[in-house]
Amino acid sequence: MKKYIYLTSTPEALVASMLPPEGFGMYLSTGTKKRNRGQNIFFEVDLDQIGNIFDMESLEKRCVAKEDGSPKSSVYLSVYRVLEMVPTSALKSLYLTTDHGCVLELKKAPYDSKRESVNTLHLYQELCPVTPLVVSDMTPSAFLKKLTDGSIPITLPKLFFVELKLGELAANPLGGSAEHLPYPNIGHMRDCLEILRGEYEKHMKTVQRVFSGTLLYRTIESGFYVGSKDEIVFYPYPTIKDLEDINYEFFRDI
Amino acid sequence: MISSLFWIVPVAALTALLFAWIFYRNMKAQEEGTDRMIEIATYVREGAMAYLRRQYGVVTKVFLILVVLLLILAYFGIQNPFVPVAFLTGGFFSGLCGYLGMRTATYASNRTAWAASKSLNQGLKVALRSGAVMGLVVVGFGLLDIALWFLILNGWVFTPEHMAAGWKFAGLTFVHPGTTEHEKLIEITAVMLTFGMGASTQALFARVGGGIFTKAADVGADLVGKVEAGIPEDDPRNPATIADNVGDNVGDVAGMGADLYESYAGSILATAALGAALPGVTGDLQIKSVIAPMLVSAIGIFLSIAGIYLVRTKESATPKALLHALLLGTGGSSLLILVVLAIMAAADWITWGVFGATVSGLLAGVIIGQSTEYYTSDGNKPTQAIAKQAQQGPATVIIEGMAVGMASTWIPVVTIVIGIIAAYGFSGGFQNFAMGVYGIGFAAVGMLSTLGITLATDAFGPIADNAGGNAEMSELPKEVRERTDALDGLGNTTAATGKGFAIGSAALTALALIAAYMEEVRLWLGRVIDKAPEGFKQIGDTLFYKSVIPQVQDGQVAVHIGSATIRDFTSAYDITLLNPIVLGGIFIGAMMAFLFSSMSMKAVGRAAGNMVEEVRRQFREIPGIMDGSGKPDYARCVAISTAGAQREMIIPSLMAIAVPLLIGVLFGVAGVVGLLAGGLSAGFVLACMLNNAGGAWDNAKKFIERGNYGGKNSEAHKASVVGDTVGDPFKDTSGPALNILIKLMSMVSVVLAGLTVAWSMLG
Repeated sequence: MKKYIYLTSTPEALVASMLPPEGFGMYLSTGTKKRNRGQNIFFEVDLDQIGNIFDMESLEKRCVAKEDGSPKSSVYLSVYRVLEMVPTSALKSLYLTTDHGCVLELKKAPYDSKRESVNTLHLYQELCPVTPLVVSDMTPSAFLKKLTDGSIPITLPKLFFVELKLGELAANPLGGSAEHLPYPNIGHMRDCLEILRGEYEKHMKTVQRVFSGTLLYRTIESGFYVGSKDEIVFYPYPTIKDLEDINYEFFRDI
Repeated sequence: MISSLFWIVPVAALTALLFAWIFYRNMKAQEEGTDRMIEIATYVREGAMAYLRRQYGVVTKVFLILVVLLLILAYFGIQNPFVPVAFLTGGFFSGLCGYLGMRTATYASNRTAWAASKSLNQGLKVALRSGAVMGLVVVGFGLLDIALWFLILNGWVFTPEHMAAGWKFAGLTFVHPGTTEHEKLIEITAVMLTFGMGASTQALFARVGGGIFTKAADVGADLVGKVEAGIPEDDPRNPATIADNVGDNVGDVAGMGADLYESYAGSILATAALGAALPGVTGDLQIKSVIAPMLVSAIGIFLSIAGIYLVRTKESATPKALLHALLLGTGGSSLLILVVLAIMAAADWITWGVFGATVSGLLAGVIIGQSTEYYTSDGNKPTQAIAKQAQQGPATVIIEGMAVGMASTWIPVVTIVIGIIAAYGFSGGFQNFAMGVYGIGFAAVGMLSTLGITLATDAFGPIADNAGGNAEMSELPKEVRERTDALDGLGNTTAATGKGFAIGSAALTALALIAAYMEEVRLWLGRVIDKAPEGFKQIGDTLFYKSVIPQVQDGQVAVHIGSATIRDFTSAYDITLLNPIVLGGIFIGAMMAFLFSSMSMKAVGRAAGNMVEEVRRQFREIPGIMDGSGKPDYARCVAISTAGAQREMIIPSLMAIAVPLLIGVLFGVAGVVGLLAGGLSAGFVLACMLNNAGGAWDNAKKFIERGNYGGKNSEAHKASVVGDTVGDPFKDTSGPALNILIKLMSMVSVVLAGLTVAWSMLG
């Protein structure tokens, strides 16, 4: 049976499995007996590119079919600081799962920083290795670079994050309509956004320190980003209308 | 001598039944779909039929007890001996309609889903024509029962010989000696009116039992399946999912059918009784007044059938085109009935005033339906406001939903008030009170005259809903589920309109029944006078007599019972707001609406608790349910919900029968009129509030699920789920059952008028 390597964002871990991405996603979300549920986000990793980084010897011994011939669901290979060790080029497709185990594949796409909207505010949910919800006046590429290039005291080796919708607040933090924005404590978010427009120079502001664990898939703005400094990998997220055609089960479940 | 035009009535009834049979056969001839679809449909059908068998068993016992009580009353001469039989036939035909409608609906769900896999139009056609079976059996059996009773009583019972010499059988007086031609029609319509009590009783059990069943299953499926086990709605792994689908049929098909059967028959019979008793109307004119409501309903059947055939679209139709096609069918039938009424008015069968009253009824029905749609559709502000409040949490969802429900009562109330006054005024009520209430009765008849197609579009809803469930569980392709979703959405719209018609017609029918109650009082007072040695009876300051004018003292008046107006009775019995007995009755009537709602809601909670335990047990004890290798015990869940519904429906239902009886005995006619007025006004407003709040909560949740305020999993969604769960017993148990409560209390009062009058005399 073919073996797959996955990088999960929560917990940050490298996992081997004999399940293909759809099966693995369902397993992560609902368990073997489908008695638990929870959303998950993970990458498929190119085994060939990480063989010399992680100890792969145990993979052959541990990731074997069960006695009844059914595939092994998961073998944890590494936890903690995994993202920074996996080369960005080794990341294949990104997979999102719903509570009920529906899986959506997002493929890499070239990132064109020239098309970024520069004069608006942004909302970023960091997913790995840290998980605050942050507002910023920086574009995704600038945000990534700022947090990973060592130019500020708080720095990360690599970052995986997603841009979320801000609606009218992106241009008008205090007066814009927050209709249909599902975030708790909108007043606090307005304040945070307004600080970015304040007199003293501040480009990022934490709105919420810890990720709730549930990403509302309908609020994703542009897509997911992962990388370090000038190296950026982009996973564009389809519009809701396109999503209905691309993956109907997933669409119905979000 | 009855008019030859009367024969249109039985012909129309039989035509309705013939077309119902044709539609049923056509539906059965459709392809059933895949093996999985057939399997799921079979589970639902077996569950639904098992429920009905159990319910009819319980109802039969209650009916037998009530028949014995009615026979005892008849033995003592304070009840017409035909009443127990009429009561049974009303209940039997109502039950038969529920059985046939539900049988058709449960056969139609998988066929609709399969037809939707070909095109939206084909799905619509199968679902609508299956719904039409329900619509047509209700009007067919309703009118057939009325026609048969009229023919039997007119042709075989009230013969000239029996009327002259009287007719007794087994010691019971069926026809009193010396009955005049004028009294004959009053007697006949009074007896026929009592078959409505059988229909009402059956309807209450169907609505309350069905409502408890469906919500117990729904809440059990949601709480354990969706919330605890985390599996989606309509997932075959959920043991309660079949019970949930059975519940849609039990509540919305059998319950709604029995409810409207009762309104349909009740409105015709009450109007006929009021027509027979119109003062100064004798001979042919009296016959015409009695037959006219039957005739309008009969013509409505033909127009309903034509309307059903009018509903057609292109194969590539959009949901909007489907709605347009449905509106063409229902609206076209309603417009045509107005044309027919205009012809009847021109031919002097009815007055132009009665025509105006009927227009008032039809318009009131449409406006109430549109108002329901406005307050409960997620395309409008009220429901969107609830969704918006969901961002703050469940508490504000509840507050906003309650507020929307309460606010939603103003349009139906103002509409009914204007409708009543207009119907009363158009038919000349300000000059002649009896003509006014006859016009109000006709407004209800007009509203329900095209019930054949209105109910077809109503029953279409649960069929489409079940088709969606079948498609989901059978994992049919995306485009099929999109089509069944579109049909389901259409069904929600028609159901909202149907609910408006149901509550509007219930209010008008109940009002006509209150007027008919006074006619029953006249009838029984006449009987009491017959037996009185002094030849008259004194009620308050009024001396009612039959043949010899009694001597009166200062402040007293003598009134001939035959020519006494309703105003004479209200004056005699002191039916004014300043009479504490009337006021007390009003308070008790209003309280009944709330107490009854509370009991039915608590019943849902208890029955749902048992279901939750059972679903948890199955997940715990049956291995492999969640991974699909084990099969849930669907039948056990259906049985638990059925047992819960049967157990819990008894007390609220019996209370609705017992309270009018007790009030009649304790407080007499004035107390009963107060009870009915209080029950009608509070029940109508509360039913509107419960139905609309529940519908708005449900659609606010759907609005969020479509991606607003974060969609599923958002905090707003969780809050809206709380609102939806609270609203479930509002809109599917207590609200719809109130329609029947207000009619049943009136019916019981009408049937027991003899006892009330006789007991008052003893007091």
